[in-house]
Amino acid sequence: MEKIILCIKGVPKPGTVKVDPVTHTLKRDSLELILNPPDRQAVEMAVRLKENYGLKVTVITMGPPNVIPLLKEVYGIGADEMVLLSDRAFAGADTLATSYVLAEAIKKMSPYSLVLMGLKSIDGETSQVPPETAALLGLPSITNVKTVLKERNNWVVLRQTEYGEEELEVEPPFVASVLPEAFDYLRPPSLKRLLEVKEKDPLVFTAKDLGLSSEKLGLNGSPTQVVDVFEKKFEAKGQVLEGEPSFLVEKLISVLEQKGLIHR
Amino acid sequence: MIEKKHLEELGKGSLLAFGEIFNGKLHPSAIEVLTPLKELGLKLDKKVVLVCLIDNLKSFQDLEVLKKSIADEVWMVCHQELVHFKDDLYAEVLIEIVKKTSPYGLFFPATSLGCALAPRIAGKLNLGLCAHVNHLEVEDGKIVMARPTYGENIIAKLISKTTPVMATLSIGAFSPSYGEREPKFFEVAMPEEFTWASKIKVRNFKPSAKQPNRLSTAKVVVAGGRGLKSKENFKKLFELAQLLKAEVGATRPVCYEGWVEEDRMIGVSGVTVRPKVYIGFGISGALQHTVGMENSEFIVAVNTDKEAPLVKMAHLALIGDASKVLDLLIKKLKK
Ligand SMILES: Cc1cc2nc3c(=O)[nH]c(=O)nc-3n(C[C@H](O)[C@H](O)[C@H](O)COP(=O)(O)OP(=O)(O)OC[C@H]3O[C@@H](n4cnc5c(N)ncnc54)[C@H](O)[C@@H]3O)c2cc1C
Ligand SMILES: Cc1cc2nc3c(=O)[nH]c(=O)nc-3n(C[C@H](O)[C@H](O)[C@H](O)COP(=O)(O)OP(=O)(O)OC[C@H]3O[C@@H](n4cnc5c(N)ncnc54)[C@H](O)[C@@H]3O)c2cc1C
Repeated sequence: MEKIILCIKGVPKPGTVKVDPVTHTLKRDSLELILNPPDRQAVEMAVRLKENYGLKVTVITMGPPNVIPLLKEVYGIGADEMVLLSDRAFAGADTLATSYVLAEAIKKMSPYSLVLMGLKSIDGETSQVPPETAALLGLPSITNVKTVLKERNNWVVLRQTEYGEEELEVEPPFVASVLPEAFDYLRPPSLKRLLEVKEKDPLVFTAKDLGLSSEKLGLNGSPTQVVDVFEKKFEAKGQVLEGEPSFLVEKLISVLEQKGLIHR
Repeated sequence: MIEKKHLEELGKGSLLAFGEIFNGKLHPSAIEVLTPLKELGLKLDKKVVLVCLIDNLKSFQDLEVLKKSIADEVWMVCHQELVHFKDDLYAEVLIEIVKKTSPYGLFFPATSLGCALAPRIAGKLNLGLCAHVNHLEVEDGKIVMARPTYGENIIAKLISKTTPVMATLSIGAFSPSYGEREPKFFEVAMPEEFTWASKIKVRNFKPSAKQPNRLSTAKVVVAGGRGLKSKENFKKLFELAQLLKAEVGATRPVCYEGWVEEDRMIGVSGVTVRPKVYIGFGISGALQHTVGMENSEFIVAVNTDKEAPLVKMAHLALIGDASKVLDLLIKKLKK
């Protein structure tokens, strides 16, 4: 059966991110992980392709074991197989080191027709992982994908950029990152599948299982390095006015006049 | 006619920037990113080169703009197969150029095409790539890049251990500048054995119906955030914008709420503005937003919270209800 590889990321729930004021690192213990919201679009696309063309969906993520509930959530929505790539050595990976692990794992899952990812994560927000993974796999990549469909044996992709909409024909296998606005309706997990997945565990692969080169992993294997993190503080620099709206608006209008924006 | 050069004859060790051309038109970011790169170039004694890919020189409509740019050189790669943007092919052309000219840096605008291309090249060549950089400097002879990160008002400075140093640069974060001396233009002759193949075929293209907004170059910006409470209130900003000849901007949450299109977003994930006057209604002033507007000449904040970061940053802060102030302002201006 033809297969889709679906990549998802667990991200800190907005508002739960705390930075340690001393070490400038993220306080991991206070973090609550959620499924990266743009990945929901990739999940929906995968499940629709499964329904339309009878493909099998393998959901995969690289992360610590506490992302397992997110894999199960995606199984609940419609994935058939769950894979967790987890190893202490993966910690601190930048996009290249992340893409290296994903690409090596995906190679082992051959044959597959396409790899679906979200457009970007809401934490790192680089949108680099999909094209980087594709490059490492030697596959074409297409970003900002709105629709994927199959015409006989051809894969057709609609891509939306600031210039307009392109209709592309792509040779499989390929990697696509899905537009966050691709679908208005995102189906929730089904109760039946959620019950079913209670009994299931994802396949887990470590660096050793995948035969990865240790010098390409995690923080040490990451060519980009954070050299400094600092907080930007704002000093009050202007006039602060309180009062009735009419007073505030009067003041604003006089400023706009001074600046030559309006003439009375 | 411009002089044709083989890859081997082109200068090595330069700072290369991708000059995005789509359908014969140059993306404005091509000119913007040259500004910080020129500064780096002067400090590091490196040439700044804009690299453009196009099907045919004759179809290029913005040659005059490039002639006024501050690039030292412009390299044009022309080939029929480049008529449409194809991620894999465009990346391969640039990879070939990188291999043969060993640049010191390779930069892309953080446009949708730039963000599609840069990581393919970084992946293939095993290079570090910094995303959405909005500030570049030289420290101890190294390029240090800054980008805002999450965790509210935190900025991270990054370096890349690999050469060429690669980054995508935030759109609108840098002002365009123009030079007196015309750059040298070369047409790049790609090696005979280069294959122009792609696994992507463009079957059809429908241009966007709507004109891109002029937010990044607007003289006046009126922006709204969650403090405006509803889509209906937010929409009134367009009325105000018309009265002030302004453009409407927004914060990320309200774009995600669907109050306004995402191309109105100001900040790390959106555009950078530097108007004469910026008015923020019900905007808290998170760093991800303020990096996109902090260089505005005059900042006005309307907020109920005296402690909001944007209030502290503003030249004039009005403590009050944003939609009431907005309503009244429109009413008075209409008179
Ligand atoms: C604030 C901040 C700034 C950063 N800046 C940089 C930088 O400039 N350069 C750099 O190289 N790294 C950077 N990183 C590191 C980068 O975020 C991590 O490498 C991360 O593992 C992947 O990148 P991303 O979150 O940007 O993913 P994106 O590329 O934005 O994610 C796109 C899609 O890729 C898939 N994906 C991403 N990660 C995984 C995963 N672990 N498992 C499965 N699928 C995945 C998902 O489908 C996701 O929707 C930064 C991190 C942070 C927190
Ligand atoms: C990776 C990442 C990237 C991001 N990129 C961007 C980006 O590019 N652009 C961006 O804008 N954000 C971005 N954000 C989000 C950013 O961190 C903030 O959450 C966002 O800017 C806040 O939007 P806001 O000011 O509208 O909302 P809030 O922070 O909720 O602020 C609302 C403000 O309105 C005030 N208010 C409430 N009621 C009233 C009233 N009746 N009248 C007047 N004022 C009132 C409140 O006091 C408050 O200050 C990003 C976040 C992350 C994690």
